[in-house]
Amino acid sequence: MTRRPNPEPDDHRVGDAMPLARRRRRAHLVVASKVVLVVALLGAAAALALPSPAATVVGVATVVLVVGTPMARVAWLVVRWLRLGDRRFALVGLAVLALGVVAAVTPL
Amino acid sequence: MPSTAVLVALSFGAASLGTLGGLGGALFLVPLLLVLGAPVELAAPLGALAVVSGSVAAGPAQLASGLVHHRLGVTVEAAAGSGALVGAIVSTAIAPRVVSVGLAVVALGAAALAFRGAGVRRPPHPLFDFEAPGEWPGTLSGAYRLGPGMVPYEARNVGQGLAGMVGVGVLSGIAGVGGGFLKVPLMREAMAIPVKVAAATSTFTVGITATISLIVFARQGRVEVATAVAVVLGALGGGLVGAKVADRLPPVVTRRVVAALLVVVAVILLVRT
Repeated sequence: MTRRPNPEPDDHRVGDAMPLARRRRRAHLVVASKVVLVVALLGAAAALALPSPAATVVGVATVVLVVGTPMARVAWLVVRWLRLGDRRFALVGLAVLALGVVAAVTPL
Repeated sequence: MPSTAVLVALSFGAASLGTLGGLGGALFLVPLLLVLGAPVELAAPLGALAVVSGSVAAGPAQLASGLVHHRLGVTVEAAAGSGALVGAIVSTAIAPRVVSVGLAVVALGAAALAFRGAGVRRPPHPLFDFEAPGEWPGTLSGAYRLGPGMVPYEARNVGQGLAGMVGVGVLSGIAGVGGGFLKVPLMREAMAIPVKVAAATSTFTVGITATISLIVFARQGRVEVATAVAVVLGALGGGLVGAKVADRLPPVVTRRVVAALLVVVAVILLVRT
């Protein structure tokens, strides 16, 4: 199977000339960020309003969602850059993700 | 511990200021929480949570405006994060008081540099009028919208800038602060990144830094859900407002606001010691 040539790393066309795929990806990230924001706002408000057991479950889920979002965004960028052939920045992104892994597994 | 309403209000204020200047905001929130009687072991995680929430809330507006330079952000974060790990390791060998005073002096110096500059440093370029704002693939360059025109930019002195970021990371690792208040001036003065792009990119990176800290805090059992959700709610609101205001401010005003906040941060650091 031949790999489809991807001109995007050197393709600096923007505005109306911006490749449709790039415009769509940016729109996807904006929409995903908005969804996370709305869900987190609703979750935080619900956790403050609900009675105790439910409040704890919703609260933990909200905090996990908020805390996980920046790393999920980096992971998404790494995948996107790898697909674009932008390996140098994908490696840098992987290094940032590795810092999170180090924080999670280093003995306290 | 302050009441829920107070936590929401304080987090709102800290996140809106932090998002406006790309400084994070924990340096504003944590001292206030301590003054209001919050235990030290819970105040720092709440500060980090406010930073992450502000970053998450500012994300959609900053992404849509094309102000965040992700490639620059992860590059800066990799340098500063590795420095922070080294700083945390050597932190026991250096008096935190010395570092806090050093950070305060650096913050005051950065504020003086920002106050010194007059007018818009980079005007829009007519050749780029039909550009869309955002980063350019494979590079540390891009363009951002200023009024009706587009301003192209390119990171300069990348080696020196990243070396500086490692230094910022070491200092912040030793002092236990996020370092956003140093990343913005360093990106602006050393790497020639426009202040609005630097602030938006820093808002993205401080969210990552705070997430890494929060992973450690959570493993130490220092995240309390009831207070955490109050901080998340307030900081999400603050982040939304801060990002909207930052988008509308002209670069000169943004630079002055960042400078004023740096002076506040320096005072907090000096008082803390």
